[in-house]
Amino acid sequence: MELKRIVLKKEMKFLGLLLTSLLIASASAAVYYSLTMQPRVTVSAPLIKFSQAPDNPTGSTVYDAWVRLNATSYPNATLTYEKALYINNTDGSSAHSFRLKHVSITPANGTSDVGNWTSIKFLVYNSSGYVFSLNYTVTSNAWYLEPGVETNYYSIPASTGWWIRLETLSPATATTGKVCDIQISVDVQQ
Amino acid sequence: MPSEILPEFFALLGIDLFLLLSLLTCLLDERFPKALPYVFQAAALMGFGHLLISREFMVLFGEYMRFWYSFFYLIVALINIVTVNIYIATAKRMWLLAKAWAGTVTFPTFVVTVFFVSNYGFTASIEFPLLLLQVSLVVSTIVLGVSTLIFLSPDILNKFRRNKEVN
Repeated sequence: MELKRIVLKKEMKFLGLLLTSLLIASASAAVYYSLTMQPRVTVSAPLIKFSQAPDNPTGSTVYDAWVRLNATSYPNATLTYEKALYINNTDGSSAHSFRLKHVSITPANGTSDVGNWTSIKFLVYNSSGYVFSLNYTVTSNAWYLEPGVETNYYSIPASTGWWIRLETLSPATATTGKVCDIQISVDVQQ
Repeated sequence: MPSEILPEFFALLGIDLFLLLSLLTCLLDERFPKALPYVFQAAALMGFGHLLISREFMVLFGEYMRFWYSFFYLIVALINIVTVNIYIATAKRMWLLAKAWAGTVTFPTFVVTVFFVSNYGFTASIEFPLLLLQVSLVVSTIVLGVSTLIFLSPDILNKFRRNKEVN
């Protein structure tokens, strides 16, 4: 009985050491593996890229992967840039999905300056018509963005161009010269 | 491009040797102090910490320094293997076990170490005193050879002593 107890104790001790050994060995190997990873970053042209459209706001800057649109809004009148910007899928063989995602906006929520706008809408169209939109609307000095719009991806077919229609509207009481900066990212699934 | 061994590989090898020692001393626990397997586990754990630190300060340390502190850790692990071998042979006077240990643990670990260190020396583009490294490995191999000879024929040492007394 005593001998059995001793043997069992030794087995348990060995098992414990074996388990901790496995843990230490695999953790060390993982750390070493993380040291050996050799990332390579190759510069390439974007598959989904922007290009100038006929109604591009004056003073805008358009690069393949970065755009600044200098739009205007009028008090009590909707200003529409029918084709403000093209979004092209330059991949000739396969479709790619993308979405418009809000990053930041100024003036910040709660400040009285927000009241200088009623809505700023980014509507995406293709040759068949409306696809989706990212609409900023103002309610009680706060920006409101429709929930769910940012989470959906939309597939743009190979070698196809879609466009963004930009609509702006300010209230009759808006102050001239006030500026709103919106930053939107275009997430592309390669 | 052939994949080169990073200097931290020697630390990884040292960790594995300490873990091997821990498990073997646990299996032969009647012949060793009870705490010894845990001491080796702690040494392996220190090696793991060593790897983590090396990863965090990789750029700061440089390849030369990284090689030497990793190689030093491996040497400590090898010294422990040889020490356990000598302990079995001299303190415990278990010649058969000492011979088995030398053949199955000490000698293979030295061969593996020599293989990887020489491989690193040939493939690494960095400059380090390779001569010192080679000399230390040659000395280690000679010591290992003499030890093996003594283990295989324990009487040879007594004969050598008697010859010295006669002269």
